[in-house]
Amino acid sequence: MIELQNIEKYYNPGTVNEMGLFHDFNFTVNDGDFVSVIGSNGSGKTSMLNLICGSIPLDSGKIIINGKDISKMKEYKRYYKIGRVYQNPSMGTCPTMTILENMSLADNKGKIYGLSKGSDKKRVTFYREQLSRLGLGLEDKMDNLVGQLSGGQRQAMALLMSTMTPIEFLILDEHTAALDPKTADIIMELTDEIVREKNLTTIMVTHNLRYAVDYGNRLVMMHEGKAIMDKNEQEKKETSIDDILDRFNQISIEVGN
Amino acid sequence: MSFAISILEQGLIYGILALGVYITYKILDFPDLTVDGSFPLGAAITAMLITKGVSPYLTIPISFAIGVVAGICTGVIHVKLKVRDLLSGIIMMTALWTINLYIAGTANVPLFAQKTIFSLASENTLFAKMGTYITVVISLVVVVICKILLDLYLKTKSGFLLRAVGDNDVLVTSLAKDQGNIKILGLALSNGLVALAGCIFCQEERVFEISMGTGTIVIGLASVIIGTSLFKKASFMKATTAVIIGSIIYKLCVAVAIRNFSPQAMKLITAVLFLIVLIISGRKKTKANGMKA
Amino acid sequence: MKKKLLCGILSVGMVMTLLVGCSSKKDDTGSKEKEYKIGITQFAEHGSLDNCREGFLKGLKEEGIEEGKNLKVEYKNSAADMSLSGQIADDLVNSKVDLICAIATPSAQTAYNAAMKTDIPVVYTAVTDPVAAALAKDDGTSVGNVTGTSDKLPIKEQLEMMHEILPKAKNIGIMYTTSEANSVSAIKEYKKYAKEMDLNIVEAGIAQTSDISLACDGLLTKVDCLTNLTDNTVVSSLPTILDKANKKNIPVFGSEIEQVKIGCLAAEGLEYTDLGIQTGKMAAKILKGEAKASEMKFETITKPGFYGNTEVAKNLGITLPENLTKNAVDMFDKIEASK
Repeated sequence: MIELQNIEKYYNPGTVNEMGLFHDFNFTVNDGDFVSVIGSNGSGKTSMLNLICGSIPLDSGKIIINGKDISKMKEYKRYYKIGRVYQNPSMGTCPTMTILENMSLADNKGKIYGLSKGSDKKRVTFYREQLSRLGLGLEDKMDNLVGQLSGGQRQAMALLMSTMTPIEFLILDEHTAALDPKTADIIMELTDEIVREKNLTTIMVTHNLRYAVDYGNRLVMMHEGKAIMDKNEQEKKETSIDDILDRFNQISIEVGN
Repeated sequence: MSFAISILEQGLIYGILALGVYITYKILDFPDLTVDGSFPLGAAITAMLITKGVSPYLTIPISFAIGVVAGICTGVIHVKLKVRDLLSGIIMMTALWTINLYIAGTANVPLFAQKTIFSLASENTLFAKMGTYITVVISLVVVVICKILLDLYLKTKSGFLLRAVGDNDVLVTSLAKDQGNIKILGLALSNGLVALAGCIFCQEERVFEISMGTGTIVIGLASVIIGTSLFKKASFMKATTAVIIGSIIYKLCVAVAIRNFSPQAMKLITAVLFLIVLIISGRKKTKANGMKA
Repeated sequence: MKKKLLCGILSVGMVMTLLVGCSSKKDDTGSKEKEYKIGITQFAEHGSLDNCREGFLKGLKEEGIEEGKNLKVEYKNSAADMSLSGQIADDLVNSKVDLICAIATPSAQTAYNAAMKTDIPVVYTAVTDPVAAALAKDDGTSVGNVTGTSDKLPIKEQLEMMHEILPKAKNIGIMYTTSEANSVSAIKEYKKYAKEMDLNIVEAGIAQTSDISLACDGLLTKVDCLTNLTDNTVVSSLPTILDKANKKNIPVFGSEIEQVKIGCLAAEGLEYTDLGIQTGKMAAKILKGEAKASEMKFETITKPGFYGNTEVAKNLGITLPENLTKNAVDMFDKIEASK
């Protein structure tokens, strides 16, 4: 369970550009939830993910994972339990290393990176199996550099890599936004499959309203650092894309654009 | 022939330096100026130990170790104290100037009367037969051992992480590893190799001179860039081999300049030759800039 | 493919220039008079070192070995770069010169190291302390096929001269670069003689040119006069030092003729051209086969000479004692602009 309690976050404090984003923000994600988060630019979606992962510091408030306060925990330590896929496909893989090396790197997460052989031959079959699920033919290119792959192929790998080892939470940061529609569909389908299979508690930020409605069991719309819409599984089923669009327009009129 | 030999000697010894610079510049993407200090650091400790009667062979691991310490210092300044990469190198380079003076005792330590790894080897019957080739052979052995060990290391799990951190530090964090520590590790290894190069160079020239580090980074970078860009397409060749060859080519450029041009024009000619090599190899920045976005 | 080809051509071209470079220099041994071929390796571009080189060639000429007639000179300068200095030494050895003249300590060491494997003699000059540089044994005899001249300052004479001009001066300031081995050893010697004469040496060590201004200001508050070594960094900033000292009316002594020319009060010092000539004559003996480098002790300048500048003296309100001026090697009556 992820709990955000009384979160305060200001950007550029003490300057003329000071901008308050979160003010007494509270948010809870229950175990097994697959939350789709939507909202306009600057609404705080990505900032929320960054706060949970520790990529940006917190002004005050608490972030609690499974009952444990992790507000002071270093970013990298939080990733023992969290997997994360970014919008930019390059962020989840190493371009100058081969597919095999990338898979091996991810496979060792949580263990010691010592002086033993980088890639374990015994695991190669497993990697092939995993890659073949993608249906992209990557399993036959194990020795190719990842830098030579397309954005979609890399993003698929990034998804595989981030969920390869036992984790509890999956953070998806607009992970289909940089892909063409067809590839995005494949990646989204794969995401859903992995989340179900591994029973991951997931937060997915997306701009794609269709995905937000079709996938997951909870839908949240953020605006100016607040969750202005929060629909559970039942309510979500009754919500259509048009309903959400209406709400969006409403906000836009309030803001004045 | 003797021209080729002296170029090879110098090129191979500086090849060790190139391996070190390769780690920071190519793998870590960190412009590390510490090398201008850690190269003479290796030489200073070597000169000091040899004059004290320590076995020349022992100076090799000791130089490496002290270089590692210097690299760790640069790393800590950069990672923990959050000083910019160039600046942390400059700070260490400056500090090492004095440290080198302290270690060596004076600005110039000759080793003509002392034994070096090269003179010891010539006493050995196996090596003695090689005559004038002895320096080249020993330098080759040292650089090849360094290269093989580095290649092996880069294939380990720790090596994978090191390669990943320069490529994409976000991924390393996502793997629940502190990228700062990995950077420190890389700087440590790099400066260890650089100090080792200083150790061998000092024994080959039989002198430690405080100013011997000036411009080391230029030679190192030139070797790495020449090597990696010339052999970019040669997939059969490892980058570590390429940078050693790069170092030999650089020394060849210098030798051609020494040979055929007036002393005043030396540096300019070297620069022009360097440029020609780069243009021919059609250097392009291959790294995806998007990664930093 | 085209690029690869070009690249190949270039590499081959470079190797060719190397080889051609050596083959074309094969001299015609058939001529009657023996032609000598020497290499000169100089550590840096520097006024005093240039004087040494010119003097060296002059010295050879006086002994009948003249460039263009029966002498070929390969001159290389390593621009204060150690790794280059090593490569230059190797290159000269590979060119099979008859003798290497090495100017300044690092060049002398790299030349000796490179020539060790061959029978090419090395003659050095402008090495302040050949013993500390391991080019000579404690008694001045050679450690190998190497000999030359030292530009060690006549420190005792300098102190005596200063005492004669300024009998009341007790505190003598010296600025030096901590990384220059020659300066460090000179300071030690200064302290030794100063103690004997009941004088006090106030030293200020600097690391680079940019430190000079501050160090000088600090030093000038503590001393009665300043004296100079042949420290490269300090000497190249001498105008700055002179300017500051003149404002406080503190005399500055030099260590060689050039420094007196540009505004030091006086010097008991070296003339690098003379040192070079002396070295050239030593080299001539070796070339002609009259002596072996390995059997020659290193030499110092035969006798230091007094140099004075009367305009500086006038500005400071000091009269230079007559028994110094009458034996002066050279007196200057105006301050020249520094080169």
